[in-house]
Amino acid sequence: MVRLDKASKTYRTKHGDVQALDRVSLQIQKGELVIIRGPSGSGKTTLLLSAGGMLRPTEGHVIVNNNDIYAMSKRERAIFRAENIGFVFQLFHLVPYLNIIDNVLMPTGVGRSRFGQKDAKEWLNRLNLAERMHHRPSELSAGEKQRTAIARAMLKRPQIILADEPTGNLDPENSDEIIGYLAEYHSSGGTVIVVTHGKAVDQYADRIVYLKKGHIDKP
Amino acid sequence: MTTFRLILKEMLQRKFNFLLSLLAVVIAAALFVSFFTTGESSKSETIRLMRDIGFNLRIIPKKTNMEKFWQTGFSEYTMPESHVYDLATHGGISYAHLTAILQKKLTWEGREVFLTGIAPEISPPGKKKTPMIFSIEQGNVYIGYEIAQSLGLGKGDRIDIFGKSFIIAQSLSESGSEDDIRIYAHLHDVQGLLKMENSINEIKALQCLCIVNNEQINSLEMLREQLAGILPDAKVILIQNIASAREGQRLMAERYFGFIIPFVSVVCMTWIGILAMLNVRERRQEIGIMRALGYGSGKIAALFLGRAVIIGLIGAVVGFSVGTSLALKFGPVIFKVTANMIEPRIQLLYWAIIASPAMCALSVFIPAMSAVAQDPAITLREE
Ligand SMILES: Nc1ncnc2c1ncn2[C@@H]1O[C@H](COP(=O)(O)OP(=O)(O)OP(=O)(O)O)[C@@H](O)[C@H]1O
Ligand SMILES: [Mg+2]
Repeated sequence: MVRLDKASKTYRTKHGDVQALDRVSLQIQKGELVIIRGPSGSGKTTLLLSAGGMLRPTEGHVIVNNNDIYAMSKRERAIFRAENIGFVFQLFHLVPYLNIIDNVLMPTGVGRSRFGQKDAKEWLNRLNLAERMHHRPSELSAGEKQRTAIARAMLKRPQIILADEPTGNLDPENSDEIIGYLAEYHSSGGTVIVVTHGKAVDQYADRIVYLKKGHIDKP
Repeated sequence: MTTFRLILKEMLQRKFNFLLSLLAVVIAAALFVSFFTTGESSKSETIRLMRDIGFNLRIIPKKTNMEKFWQTGFSEYTMPESHVYDLATHGGISYAHLTAILQKKLTWEGREVFLTGIAPEISPPGKKKTPMIFSIEQGNVYIGYEIAQSLGLGKGDRIDIFGKSFIIAQSLSESGSEDDIRIYAHLHDVQGLLKMENSINEIKALQCLCIVNNEQINSLEMLREQLAGILPDAKVILIQNIASAREGQRLMAERYFGFIIPFVSVVCMTWIGILAMLNVRERRQEIGIMRALGYGSGKIAALFLGRAVIIGLIGAVVGFSVGTSLALKFGPVIFKVTANMIEPRIQLLYWAIIASPAMCALSVFIPAMSAVAQDPAITLREE
């Protein structure tokens, strides 16, 4: 499903190069829930963005659904992302001037989509956000914001969900709820890759990958 | 979620940036509209005035030394009196009044005076017009204010000029010009006194127009050409009239606005560009998430270009209304033309609706490109 093939990423800065990923090879099967764990700066976010077609590795390949995604044009890759991948970020990244339902509908702005209002409302109901539908993100609690982001990521039922510390800004109770939704998505057949420090998700995980200084390591 | 909906929601939510951008467009569009509304009206009025009034001309012998002419006020050369009749009967020129004049500066009663002989005015055939220049009967003279004052002369007195006796038919009121030391007499009297029978040194032609194919054409160029054909030994001087003075005023205003309009356009475009740049910076993370959701470069650019086009459209309509109201209110004062000549010009609305969105889109081109060029992998990390 998702395969990194000796993927390396070097950030070139004025103050020297930073090797964020160092020849990482990793294979994740369809329907797996994989946790990526490691110290700060070990390259977790870099790995996730590379796997999601958002950040081109300096070397190596990323194969998703048998497609070498960085061999595609930028445009093809964007469409590929829109159809196959959902992102969840630690900082929610909701669009501030749209209300909650419009935020959830954001993915329908690209490509032909069979999903719409009805699906968005369904997700909002399921995530206990129905009453917040017409509110703006600034009027929501952190937990509600992340639930909105989850609904947005899942609206088009992508095969792969990539979540980068989705519970990093949440209290344990909200964290458990968010993890619960990711686990649910996984159990309904979705592939989920989640970067997290929390242990709540461990019980659902098929596998835990440890990163250290850009390498895959033993725990 | 269409791009259009996204743009509208963003504009309504971030009113400050939107309204400031809109203000810039309104200012530029209003200036443009008010200028052309008043300018076009002023122009058409000038053209109408010129068409109706025509040119006022002084026709003098071609050999005249102009330096001397402007110093003395008359030509030292003469042309045959028959020229005025040639002109009157030619048909290629329409006129309201024609007068043959012979004038000289000479010493009389120990003082310098102008002696001006005026022939009765010739009106166009079939149309009897009230004379514009007075006509004097033979044996009579009109004397200027200064002459009358210093010699203690008045109406009804008799004076002697070079051995010939004249009756003062009129003592003229003060004019504040060289006319105050002028003696007007009938052309033939003056010709006799100066022994210059059948000679004149000026033809005054008022409200002259060129006639081509039975149509009156209002072009000084053509009029001069025609006159050169009829009177090859004469040349033409234009007497400034209301129409040409107004034309001068309009051209000056045009030059002034010709500088102001590009200047204001550049300032407003820069202003819109800077506001768009701020807008792009404020929306870095939004652009980042759109990238993550698979939005392409075209959509991202459309977000900013579309926004500019919408602002341009609203600005064009508002600017047209504001500019037209301003023109209706202040145009008559600035251009000193009659208020009812200035009227709303709907073509300007069409122009504004085309030009202002285009210029807005151009203004935000660089910000839009910078939005497209943003790396979402960086912006999505930002707090
Ligand atoms: N745009 C960038 N330019 C230069 N260096 C970068 C850039 N982004 C990340 N890095 C560096 O790359 C390394 C890996 O970063 P990354 O964000 O992937 O780590 P992480 O494991 O996600 O850390 P954290 O747990 O703190 O989020 C870090 O040393 C970081 O400083
Ligand atoms: Mg990280």
